[in-house]
Amino acid sequence: MERRKFIQSMFTASAVAVVATPMGAFAKEEKKASKKGPNDMSFDDAVKVITEGKEVKDSDKVKLIVPEIAENGAVVPVKVNVDHPMEEKNYVKAIHVLNKGNSNARCADIMLTPANAEGYFATRVKLSKTQEVVALVELSDGSFIQSAKSVKVTIGGCG
Amino acid sequence: MAEKRKSMIKIKPKKYKVGDIVKVDFIVIHPMETGMRKDKKTGKIKPAHYIDSITFSFDGKPFTTMKVWESVSTNPYFSVKYKVTGKGKITVDYTDNQGEKNSKSKKIKPKG
Repeated sequence: MERRKFIQSMFTASAVAVVATPMGAFAKEEKKASKKGPNDMSFDDAVKVITEGKEVKDSDKVKLIVPEIAENGAVVPVKVNVDHPMEEKNYVKAIHVLNKGNSNARCADIMLTPANAEGYFATRVKLSKTQEVVALVELSDGSFIQSAKSVKVTIGGCG
Repeated sequence: MAEKRKSMIKIKPKKYKVGDIVKVDFIVIHPMETGMRKDKKTGKIKPAHYIDSITFSFDGKPFTTMKVWESVSTNPYFSVKYKVTGKGKITVDYTDNQGEKNSKSKKIKPKG
């Protein structure tokens, strides 16, 4: 008798667990989605705002240096080197550092001038999860080039 | 809100001549709060507090301007390159989203 009861209780418990888990997961997801920052923007929207609908080409000229695996997502060093002359009429106008997974896709926009002499920028960013970091570079003739690299994040940086 | 913030400008390498390209590093102690974290003690969401614009200028002439969002790390570090043209002063002005304005400057003394 005892054994039968035990098995029965096992069955009911497992059934409850099966029903409960998807509900729980769903609720968690909803909670995550409702967590909104002050100026949220998706990656596609951010690119649209920056380029105003212009074409963006992938290029080897943009060297994006990020770690492959970031142990701490709160401090991820990002370095951008643009192999482009910095002359009076032909220079790197802006470097945009973007991410694909944070609630706000924009990290920093840097407007350069020929006085900089080199298209270089370095900073540290927060990444909430494993995602791609994108460097979008605007040249003075109005064209856009980009380079992307994925970063594996073991501990997220946004609380 | 005129709270004094610790900030620092570093020129690398330390010795440079006119015409050299140097790295200008700017570091500031700032919380860079995203507006999404909860205060563990009170359970309330901490208001967003981050630097949103930075201007690097040499003798009053801006050469690099930045727009920054909350995705940049706590105690942010920004680095750009600059070609030394002569004696002068590099000034970095920065404001945050709560209207706090600060600036930091460093003299440029090329040798030779």
